[in-house]
Amino acid sequence: MSGRVIGANLVVSITTFSREKSAMFFTIAFPIILILVFGTIFLNQDNVSFDLYVQDLDQTNSSAQLVKTLELNGKFKIVTVDPAINATRYAKDRKVNLVLVIPNGYERALARRLGLVGGVPYPAFRDPKASVTVTYIYDASASSTSTKIQILRAGFAVVNEAISGQPPFIRAAETSMLTKTFRFIEFFVPGIIAMSVMTSSLSGAVNMNAELRQKGVIRKLSTTPITRTDWILSNILYQFILAVICTMAILVVSYAVFSVRLKINAWLFVFLVLEVFAFGGIGMILTRVANEAESATAAANFIMFPMMFLSGSFFPLELMPGFLQTIARILPLYYVNEGLRASMVFIDSTAALRYAAMIGVFAIVVFVLGINTTKWEEGT
Amino acid sequence: MTTEPEHAIDVENLTKRYGDLLAVNNISFHVRTGEVFAFLGPNGAGKTTTVEIIETIRTPTSGRVCLLGMDVTTRKRDIVPRIGVLPQGFSSFDRITVRETIQYYARLFGCRNTDVDGLIELANLKDKSKEQFKNLSGGLRQRLGIAIALVNDPEVVFLDEPTTGLDPRARREVWEVLLSLKTNGKTVFLTTHYMEEAELLADTVAIISKGKIIAMGSPDELIESNANYLVLTLKTIDGAPFEIIQRMGFEPVHDNHKNIKVRVEHTDDIHKILNAMKDAGASSLGLDVRKPNLEAVFLKLTGEALREGSVEGVPE
Repeated sequence: MSGRVIGANLVVSITTFSREKSAMFFTIAFPIILILVFGTIFLNQDNVSFDLYVQDLDQTNSSAQLVKTLELNGKFKIVTVDPAINATRYAKDRKVNLVLVIPNGYERALARRLGLVGGVPYPAFRDPKASVTVTYIYDASASSTSTKIQILRAGFAVVNEAISGQPPFIRAAETSMLTKTFRFIEFFVPGIIAMSVMTSSLSGAVNMNAELRQKGVIRKLSTTPITRTDWILSNILYQFILAVICTMAILVVSYAVFSVRLKINAWLFVFLVLEVFAFGGIGMILTRVANEAESATAAANFIMFPMMFLSGSFFPLELMPGFLQTIARILPLYYVNEGLRASMVFIDSTAALRYAAMIGVFAIVVFVLGINTTKWEEGT
Repeated sequence: MTTEPEHAIDVENLTKRYGDLLAVNNISFHVRTGEVFAFLGPNGAGKTTTVEIIETIRTPTSGRVCLLGMDVTTRKRDIVPRIGVLPQGFSSFDRITVRETIQYYARLFGCRNTDVDGLIELANLKDKSKEQFKNLSGGLRQRLGIAIALVNDPEVVFLDEPTTGLDPRARREVWEVLLSLKTNGKTVFLTTHYMEEAELLADTVAIISKGKIIAMGSPDELIESNANYLVLTLKTIDGAPFEIIQRMGFEPVHDNHKNIKVRVEHTDDIHKILNAMKDAGASSLGLDVRKPNLEAVFLKLTGEALREGSVEGVPE
């Protein structure tokens, strides 16, 4: 191993990188664009409010009060529908996925239930069986419909409870597992870091080994004092430098544009190192398995693209069907994603350690295999 | 160095097999210190395999190869800093300039005193020193490759087909660089399938065919011992001279330009033919007398042409 040789290789690699516009784009600009685009789309997801179309056929103070209650809940922006028109038709024409219809007689039913006469309560007149039926006109195929109905049910439950005058038997106390609240972007950024580092180390290793071998550069190098160890170490070091540059770029943009709150500690570096070794190792193996540079690149893409989408880089795994979640758990990128989230978002060192151990074992196995499959001398 | 060994390279009974293929078949030769040694043979003859074994990047199946007195299979570390290699089809990092590439290789060898400007000048790349490798033509790339082979001021330089695939002008430009290398007194091991290249540059030529060395010596010696004759070419307008020459007992042939070619043993025979034509009143538009070249030697020894379409219609 020679520092001089590794230094010379780093100079060549970094010079090449700085002159390759497409490499610069895919390593630095592309992840930043992803952050900006997805970050903007999901910027206010936590404060999201649904449009609620309400047709109030009762047109009384009580029905207005009910609508107000739903609005105060904060989850709905109320749009009133003219009582004179056909609500079903309206929903169809306007492509509205849910219209809540408050029936005529709402106030009267309420008065009977509460025993109100002229606004004054007489308990003797109370009719505990008096009720009213509201109607949901909805489009079951729309994704937000069920969420809206759930919110409405919760809202009505509160109203029912108040009217019955009895305290509920089961109460729920909410204690979040998270120590603070998070926004989508804070989950997203670690995923993008993991994805970018994977792409650059995997394709970097393929490029360094397959392309330079095919061109005969490796043959020339094998007649110089550089050793295979020097070569592999310089590549890994270069990939790590790229990973750090790329991560810093992503973090700077995320802090500047979205003011994310992420913890940056030694774990971040641990995961970057392990990821570079893991995917650099895969790259070296691919280079050996595929004979030509083109097929090695194709094989790298074949591995990278499904991994990006299946391992929860872009969205939480919980959104995927069960069998896909099982698949995700055998993908190395999943452990980097989860590990980075554990350390940067949840600040959970135990979990980070667990994920680091998983990816670490994988990295060692793959890297050792990669070293053994990387040909240097033309050999026997 | 005080006591330079007489032989820079010693090869004894070298054999290399790839599975069933016998690439190099029990060859022995040596290269004297300071000479230009050319390995001449068609594609697939075993040239590159042999040179790569000597360069320590392939291992022999059997036999012994010593470079600068050191066994190539065990002393790679000691050998590598003392040799310079232009591999076949030399290539380098696309985005790195000529100067940077030379500096890179100098750094690999740990040479602080490499005269980068001198090498650029030697390879005649002065106005290309800031050009990136990907923008260089084939000839420029080979010249850069030669400059790189010299970064460590090596004692032995290997040039594996330095002009293959180049156009004639680029080839001549590479030759100029190689000739200046020769005057520097380096030991040069050259492989080529171009006769002109071997004749022009080499002190010793080994002709290799199908993994065996079939002849070795200086270009003149090889021609002398294997093709000691002259070829007379006559430009004519009619068939008369052809018949006259035939009647004299020679074996004239027409080449593809309808010229007559006759192989003769001595210059006297040429006089005889010309006199006979004169007596018969037959005329020629022009004549040319040539000694055969290595190409003819090769053809005679192997019965195969080095390159397709390269052999003139020389009668056997």
